[in-house]
Amino acid sequence: MTSEIWTEKYRPKTYNEVAGQEDIVKRLEGLTNSMNIPHIMFAGPAGTGKSTLALIVVKELFGETWRDNYLELNASDERGINIVREKVKDFARTKALGNVPFKVIFLDEADALTPEAQQALRRTMENYASTCRFIMSCNYSSKIIDPIQSRCAIFRFKLLEKKDVIKYLGTIAKKEELEINEEALAAIYEGSEGDCRRSVNLLQSTAAVSPKITVDLVATILSNVKPKDIKIVLEYALAGDFEGAKNKLLDVMLKESISGQDVIKSMQKEIWNLTIEPEIKVRLTEKTGEIEFRIVEGSDPFVQLQSLIASFVLAGLGK
Amino acid sequence: MTSVDSKPSTVNNYQTWVAKYRPKKFEDIIGQDEAIEKIKTYFEKFPKVKKKALLLGGSPGIGKTTLVEVLANEIKAELFELNASDFRNKAQMQEKLKPVLEQTSLFNNKKLILIDEADGVSGTKDRGGLSELTSLIENSPFPIICTANDVWGKKVSGLKKKCEIIELKEISPSQTKDLLKKILELEGKEVTLGVLNKIAIHAKGDLRSAINDLEAASSLEHPEDFEIDSRNKKEDIFNAIKIIFQEKANPKMLGLYDKVDMPLDEIMLWIEENIPKVYSGEELVRAYQRLANADLFKGRIYKQQYWRFLVYENIFSSYGISAAKGDTEKKGLFKYERPGRVLKIWLNNVKHAKRKSIAIKFSKQTHVGMKRIMKEWKEVLPFLKNPKIQEELKLEADEIAYIMKY
Repeated sequence: MTSEIWTEKYRPKTYNEVAGQEDIVKRLEGLTNSMNIPHIMFAGPAGTGKSTLALIVVKELFGETWRDNYLELNASDERGINIVREKVKDFARTKALGNVPFKVIFLDEADALTPEAQQALRRTMENYASTCRFIMSCNYSSKIIDPIQSRCAIFRFKLLEKKDVIKYLGTIAKKEELEINEEALAAIYEGSEGDCRRSVNLLQSTAAVSPKITVDLVATILSNVKPKDIKIVLEYALAGDFEGAKNKLLDVMLKESISGQDVIKSMQKEIWNLTIEPEIKVRLTEKTGEIEFRIVEGSDPFVQLQSLIASFVLAGLGK
Repeated sequence: MTSVDSKPSTVNNYQTWVAKYRPKKFEDIIGQDEAIEKIKTYFEKFPKVKKKALLLGGSPGIGKTTLVEVLANEIKAELFELNASDFRNKAQMQEKLKPVLEQTSLFNNKKLILIDEADGVSGTKDRGGLSELTSLIENSPFPIICTANDVWGKKVSGLKKKCEIIELKEISPSQTKDLLKKILELEGKEVTLGVLNKIAIHAKGDLRSAINDLEAASSLEHPEDFEIDSRNKKEDIFNAIKIIFQEKANPKMLGLYDKVDMPLDEIMLWIEENIPKVYSGEELVRAYQRLANADLFKGRIYKQQYWRFLVYENIFSSYGISAAKGDTEKKGLFKYERPGRVLKIWLNNVKHAKRKSIAIKFSKQTHVGMKRIMKEWKEVLPFLKNPKIQEELKLEADEIAYIMKY
């Protein structure tokens, strides 16, 4: 059955359908031709083809029976490393079907695991080394502990080039009989920050409104999507209304289910649009950086963001 | 704690005043006429009652346990006491209950089961305990009385559904004083009116601590010097944050949260909620920075399991918050509030539970993490309205309704 969700319907199914990442594709092809792979790490930004290539690898290895020999886990969705280990244990207990002597576990967003959890994972990898291969994906390989990195062949994914994404979107648009021009395609690309998967989702969402896609339509869809509320939070704060800002912040974080890290990213960008003195801009950026550091380190994002908002209130008072 | 075992034998006949003057009959109990009436009516009707257990609520030392003991005495029932720790596991509880449920007493068949401090049973850590307790209530042939300090607290919310609630009245300082005077008379001792007043007011309705204080004061050579020992006195959270926010910062504040019967994590939520109620401008900024610092160390404790960081978490969240206003005090009445964030998060989760269940289905179909889909919800929502995709994801009717609402 073909999917109606375009990211699935048009997901590359073989190596030669993959856009960009030529070097990676070549290396992987060599591995799967020999019917043996080491543990693998895919490092790189979102929407550059990591999951897609993992799927192609298992399809190349196992053919028709790939579903029986492939387990997909998402580290940021699983509740704790123990659940991950249990699932791995269950899956690895039975032998692989077919000619390949191992099964493949794809661990997506592996950098969501704490270093301690990664240590535990390392043990699991060792225990099942004879029956399982891991493909791990992460945004930054530096967030993965050395012992795991040293067990993996590392593949670094680059952000796809604009022309590649646009070409890909164009192919989909043609097959779906959409009316769309270069300019609108470019707007979708910009709106999804180079993330190919998101750009396909955006294309499908825009097409759900109308098959005639203009730049304006893309802009309308995007304006619904962007968390512009962060700007309101800062406006409240600069006007001295701390409680208003704080309540709005909690609202936004809950309603849009965006994380503290996303909020702070938007805040940092928003500082440039504020009408405040250059010196204060720098000071707020400094403070923002410190708070982002703390949130990354694992502090309560809401508490930390409140202290940041308080700093904005002070900046609004000209101090 | 001093060892009880090493008590010299000469004091064996000695009874503390609290034990000595514990009421034996209903008429000995002060200030709880209404509750007594309710309990009497309840036992006249038992077992033909709507709810098979009673929940007695009231602050510590007000006389909840005493009331049950008096009741057992008055209706000539055998009293079996259980406490929170008996509910840790099923086997243990049944072991404990066996004699109650099996053995019929020689002279009569009346039994009464007391579960003292039931708020200790049904805490979130003892979910199992609560279900044991409720099933006991449903199946027990004998009446059960539970006691709790706060019947409106969330710790007993599950239990409340099974119980008829009777709240004991707060005892006023003048009622306390009358009782203390009576005891002094019976003991043939004297303290000054000033000390008496001090004890009665400080007790805040806690008769047990009042009688203990009175006994301590009267045993002094100069009872007028009596200082109430407030070291072990539990501090109310409202009072604690009032001290922090309004009084001049002083090192005594460092021990303040230890006296509050609440984990520091939860106290931090109270601080977070109430900073803007009292502070403004630069004070407010400083206070939030201190709170953020406390939180930073809290995170480091969790991460590195290095518990000395607790010292810093505590200093920042107590003295640090207080000193945010400089070397001053804040006079006046401020309306402190319970923390709202946890409730808001919970409400939001309930409201968007459907979004999560849809995201899980979408996640399975598209090889993308559920959390990421939640984050990009608005980017996929427009095409989730497509019936073909809804069918492909095997969405339920209520999930479809949730999507179409937008």
